[in-house]
Amino acid sequence: MAYLDINNVVKRYEGHTALNGVSMQVEQGTIYGLLGPNGAGKSTLIRIINRILAADEGTVTLNGKQMTDDDITHIGYLPEERGLYKKMKVGDHIVYLGRLKGMTKADAVASMHWWLDRFDLKEWENKKVENLSKGMQQKVQFIGTVIHRPPLLIFDEPFSGFDPVNAEQLKVEILALRDQGSTILFSTHNMASVEEVCQQITLLNHAQVVLTGSVDEVKQQHKKNIIAVQTPDTIEPNPELFTMLPPDPVKKQDTRIKLTQGVNVRDAINWLNEHYRLTGFTEVLPSMNEIFIETVKSKNTENNE
Amino acid sequence: MNKLRLIIAREYMSIVGRKSFIFLTLGMPLLFIFIMAVPIGLAWLNDKGSDTQQIAVIDETGRYAAALKSDDMYNFVAIKGDTVTNAREFYDKANGSLDAIIIIPRDVDSTGVVNIFSEGTITPALVSSVRNVLSDTIETAHLTAMGIPNIQEMVDKAHVDVDVRSITWSEAGDEQESSTEAAMGLGLMLSIFTYMFVLMYGAMIMNSVIEEKTNRIVEVVVSSCRPFQLMLGKIIGVGLVGLTQMAIWIVLLVVVAMVAGSAFGIGNVSPDAVSPEALASAKDMGAMEAIVRDTLSINYTPIIVGFILYFIGGYLLYSSLFAGLGSAVDQPSDSSQFTTPVILIMLIAFYAGMACMDNPSGPTAVWCSIIPFTSPVVMMIRLPFGVPFWQLALSLGLLFGTALAITWLAARIYRRGILHYGKKASFADLFKWMK
Repeated sequence: MAYLDINNVVKRYEGHTALNGVSMQVEQGTIYGLLGPNGAGKSTLIRIINRILAADEGTVTLNGKQMTDDDITHIGYLPEERGLYKKMKVGDHIVYLGRLKGMTKADAVASMHWWLDRFDLKEWENKKVENLSKGMQQKVQFIGTVIHRPPLLIFDEPFSGFDPVNAEQLKVEILALRDQGSTILFSTHNMASVEEVCQQITLLNHAQVVLTGSVDEVKQQHKKNIIAVQTPDTIEPNPELFTMLPPDPVKKQDTRIKLTQGVNVRDAINWLNEHYRLTGFTEVLPSMNEIFIETVKSKNTENNE
Repeated sequence: MNKLRLIIAREYMSIVGRKSFIFLTLGMPLLFIFIMAVPIGLAWLNDKGSDTQQIAVIDETGRYAAALKSDDMYNFVAIKGDTVTNAREFYDKANGSLDAIIIIPRDVDSTGVVNIFSEGTITPALVSSVRNVLSDTIETAHLTAMGIPNIQEMVDKAHVDVDVRSITWSEAGDEQESSTEAAMGLGLMLSIFTYMFVLMYGAMIMNSVIEEKTNRIVEVVVSSCRPFQLMLGKIIGVGLVGLTQMAIWIVLLVVVAMVAGSAFGIGNVSPDAVSPEALASAKDMGAMEAIVRDTLSINYTPIIVGFILYFIGGYLLYSSLFAGLGSAVDQPSDSSQFTTPVILIMLIAFYAGMACMDNPSGPTAVWCSIIPFTSPVVMMIRLPFGVPFWQLALSLGLLFGTALAITWLAARIYRRGILHYGKKASFADLFKWMK
């Protein structure tokens, strides 16, 4: 039984359908990537999970139970478009967000101190939010999201606006939260970060799920049977086994070959090894970025036909 | 419920803790005093700074010039002269040392006309002072000329100011003396109070909604509570801010009144303060007593209870309208397209209230005090005069029914509006969101 189970959710607005029968299952203690181009319906789905919007059809269950309004205390949500009350003091603000999520004042204050300490923001506790740099405000927003230690965390583009150093710190914190048992739903355009942190993904396009599975599975499904070969020799094509590809624009020293349909990697490498001096080889798996672009583009052409 | 309390507390503190709030709350009465005091002060400076005016008085009758007494402002000099024709010559001969010439013609007793000549400005203060002094003097002279002993006392005795007291019968049959003026004053005051309060704090709610939307905190907050709680928390929080501000102002007013009162009190004790003005004001004490008596005679219970109910109903009605409309815009400058109709309705209510003052039981007054959008203002004007129970019940029922309905609709707009960015929402969008 998945921790968060979204089953056939439909959401219609005047004139268009934002979600058309979307299902996905998020296992406890994993980081789940929710991907998709702008307008695919990610934000709508996230708002439905947060109970900001109501689904027209379908169900959302959390830990096996139909979600109710009370469940929002079990969720920490960092929206893509986020902000803070500029005139509030940092400490008061974090405590306010914690108490809105149902914490007692004492718990919220203790937790606030712990997190401010962890992010080196201790001396800012009594400063107004407007005096903080943008990066520091982002950290305060993050603390406000996790202060009540929710079992389910939803991050919408968490790294946008962070410099690489702070983004790295944030990534470490997110992984630590996962290791402590939190389930994390992660919505982003940043495919590099998906490969780094997500175990499972779902790709939404035009209100529907177009791709779902673990990151490894998806990559295997989308591999093009390309092998990068390192050799001092010049390889001639052998159409029975492989054809030649132009070199990779970045790794120019590699020779890239594409295996002919039905040929397995071992046979091709054995043959190459007999005829050339191989120093190394790697199977080229597509990046999530390539898969994303390819899937979205092909679905769009299908829709247009 | 706990969350609502949190939201109210935050909203309240966020406004009351602001420097601008403290500044405005303390500064407003000062500004008010300043506005009132400046013209008086300037007029005083104006009088004090100007030189004593030299005024020649040519009294053709020879009887009245002495009545014009010189003081700091005017130095009256009686001139032996006969006719108007040499007034100009006289003025020119003085070579600028004269400011004006007053000519009291020989036939002043029959015509009652006196002329003042000058090349410069003739101030209204001089005109009224001359008019008052000469009117009294000539009137007294006429009475004396009739040769009837003690005529002055007889005239004073015959003088009457009719005091009209209104007595209303209650249904129980007892008589209740009430003053229409005091009642009208009270009704008007409460009516203006409701109007100002709703307008000021309605706008404050709207700004608070827009602020949350523009700084994008709102999505975080509504992922922790229901949008309705957030909206209601704002309405109540800002309402409490308003009551706090009003309470501070009332306290300040009482303090200022007491300080001013004691200052005047000390002035009266000092012996040299027994001036004609002080005596004249003592004569007005009778009128003061009447006002106090009238004020006390008003039956306050229904007015106060009515005021609280209409105030809450009206505030809820308009503030939720402002909150709902505020949620539909991205920035304060876009809000006018939505606020204009609301402010227009409020203005109509205000004018209806003014129009109903002369006849608080007329059809306009009755209908406007029943229609929910105008009733909080208009009923406050009517209430001191007594309103039939069925009208009160109908009006309050409609007001609260409408207020709750509007709050519900506003909450629906709010729920959608706060997450709506980009394209400017139209009234058509608002209707769509209500569904």
